[in-house]
Amino acid sequence: MLNQILFKNQSRLQLILAFLGAFLGFTFLITSFHYLIRVNEFGEEEEILGSNTLIVQKKVSNYNSIALGKTDFGKVEIKHLEGKDFVESVSPILNNSFDISIKTDSELIPYFSTDIFVQTVDHNFIKVDDASWQWKPGDEFVPVIMPREFLVMMNTFASAKGIPQVSDELAKSVKFKFTVSNENQKEKFAVKIIGFTNEMSSILVPTAFMEYGNENFPSTVPAKVTHLMTSIKEGRFGEFEKYMEANHLEPKESSVLIGKLKSIAGTLFSILFFISLLTIFLSILVLLQYAQLLMAKNKYEITTLLRIGYSPALITQKISRYFIKVFALITLSSIVVFGLAKFFIDKLFVKGGILIDNNFTWQSILAVLVVFGLYSLFNHTNAKKVIQKTQ
Amino acid sequence: MKISFKNVMPQHLADVQHDADSIWGNSFQIEAQSKVVLNASSGKGKTTFTTTLLGIRNNYSGDIHFGDVALKSLSKEDWATYRSSKIAVVYQDLQLFPELTVLENLEIKNQLHKTFSESELQNMLDELGVGNKTHERCANLSLGQQQRVAIIRALCQPFQWIILDEPFSHLDAENARKSLALIDRICDQEKAGFILTTLGDFYGYNYQVELKL
Repeated sequence: MLNQILFKNQSRLQLILAFLGAFLGFTFLITSFHYLIRVNEFGEEEEILGSNTLIVQKKVSNYNSIALGKTDFGKVEIKHLEGKDFVESVSPILNNSFDISIKTDSELIPYFSTDIFVQTVDHNFIKVDDASWQWKPGDEFVPVIMPREFLVMMNTFASAKGIPQVSDELAKSVKFKFTVSNENQKEKFAVKIIGFTNEMSSILVPTAFMEYGNENFPSTVPAKVTHLMTSIKEGRFGEFEKYMEANHLEPKESSVLIGKLKSIAGTLFSILFFISLLTIFLSILVLLQYAQLLMAKNKYEITTLLRIGYSPALITQKISRYFIKVFALITLSSIVVFGLAKFFIDKLFVKGGILIDNNFTWQSILAVLVVFGLYSLFNHTNAKKVIQKTQ
Repeated sequence: MKISFKNVMPQHLADVQHDADSIWGNSFQIEAQSKVVLNASSGKGKTTFTTTLLGIRNNYSGDIHFGDVALKSLSKEDWATYRSSKIAVVYQDLQLFPELTVLENLEIKNQLHKTFSESELQNMLDELGVGNKTHERCANLSLGQQQRVAIIRALCQPFQWIILDEPFSHLDAENARKSLALIDRICDQEKAGFILTTLGDFYGYNYQVELKL
C-alpha cells in the first residue's frame, strides 16, 4: 500500500526515456571497456624490443626508388651513429642473402608454401630467453619469431575456407619447414615458432642460422644492412630525433599491421568509452531528476505519511529500493545485450583473423556494477535529503 | 507523560498582544491523562498550538517538554516514534489519502502497530455511522464523513495523548457526540490525555483543564 501511495504520480514516458538513456550508457560502457581491455591484451606479451629501442631506416625518396640514393647502411655510417653520446648501442639487422621459402608440414593447418625473407638481430636486443634462441647445424629445429601478421593471414585464410582458427599455442606446435637454397644446392630445416612479434614484419631467426645460410648458400647479391637496431639512452630521444632529421633517417614504424589495427580499434573503443561515460553522466542526472520530480509530485503523500508516524528512514528506503530495482534492471539488460553483441563482435574479429580471448572481462562487469552502486548511492542520498526536508 | 510549556512564543505571534492568562509567553504544565480544551475563535493560533506540539512547527522561543524530553532535541526519527506510538492526532485538514478507500486509510496507520483487527475497525466505522463506506474512496466522502474516518485513524495506534484540532467542525451534534464518546472510551483504555481545540462548541465534553490563547 505504501508503494501505491508513493509511486502513484509517475510519468511513465519520462521513466522509460531515462531508462533507455541509462541502458545505452551502461551497454556502451561494458562493451567499450571489455574490448579496450581485449584489444590491448592482444599480442601484449610479444613486444620483443625494449622501450628505448628503435629500428632505424633511411628515408625512402624518389631518388632511392630510381636507385640514385642508397637505402642500406655502410660500416662508416654505423660507426658514426655508434659514436654518438646519446646512443647506448647499435646493431645491424642482418638480412638473408640466400633464397629461403617456408611451407607447412602439418595436417593441422592448410598446406601453403611461399618465398620469404628472414632477419636477425643481436640477441641482447630481444627479450627471449637464451636457451630457446640458440641454433647450430644438426639441431632438430630452427627457432623463429613470427610476425603476428603471419598468423592473422593464416587465420583469415582459414576463416574463408571454413577451417578452424589457429591459436598462438596451436601455431607454436605446428610443424613448418624452411627450404634454403642457391642455384647449386638446397637444404631443408624443421622450424619451430617460439613466439610472435608485432614490431617486425619479417621472420626472425638466430644469428647462427643466418650466418650458416649466408656462408653455405651465398647468392650473387651480397646481404645488405637496411635497418639498424638502436638503443637510446634514457631521456635523450630528442637528440636522437634531431640526428635522424639531419641524416635523413627515420624510425621504422615499430608496430606494423597489428599495431595499426590495435590502435584503430583502441581509438574507436576509447571514443565509445567516453561517449558511454557522458551518456551515463547525463542519464544519472535525468534519473535523479526523475526521482526528485516524483517526490515533489508526491509531497502531500510523503508529508502525510510522516505526520501519521511513518519513519523518514522507511520512506527513504522504499523510494531507494524502487530505484535500485530500476537500476538493477538497467544493469541486467545491458549485460544481456552486451553478451549478445559480444557474440557477433567476437565473430567479426575471428573473421578478420584476430583471435582475442572470448571470455568476459571481470573489469567490465565490475565497471557496470560500480556505476550501478554509484547510481544507487546518489539516489539514496538524494531521496534522504528530500525526505529530511519534508515536514 | 506530562506536557510542560516554558515561556513559549511562536515567532509569528511575538508582536501580538496576548492576554495575561494566554498559553503564549507563560509557563504551565498539563498533567498526564488530563482532559483539556483549547477554546478560541478562528485565527487565534489553535493550529499553531497543535502543530508546535507535534514538531511540525519549531520556529518558537521558549521550551516545550514531553516529560523530561525537550521537543527541540527530537530528531525526525524520534518524531516518527512519538507520532506513531505516543501522540495521536486529528489534523484540522484531516490529512487523508483521497485516492485510498476508507479501510485503506485506516490500515495505512493501523499496520504500524496492528492495533485493531479489521472487524474492530469495521465496528468503529459502524459506531460512527460510516460503516457502509468502508470500501469507498475517501475523495468521494463528505467532509463530515472524512472527519469521522480521520478520528478513527487517529485511534489506530498506542498513545499517551490525543490532540484533536477542531475535529467536529463538519459534524452534526449527534455524530459529534458519538465521536466524542468513542474517543473518550479509547482514551480511558489507553490511559491517555485528550486535548481538544474548538471554536466554542463543547459537545458535552467533560474537560478538566481549559487553555486560553
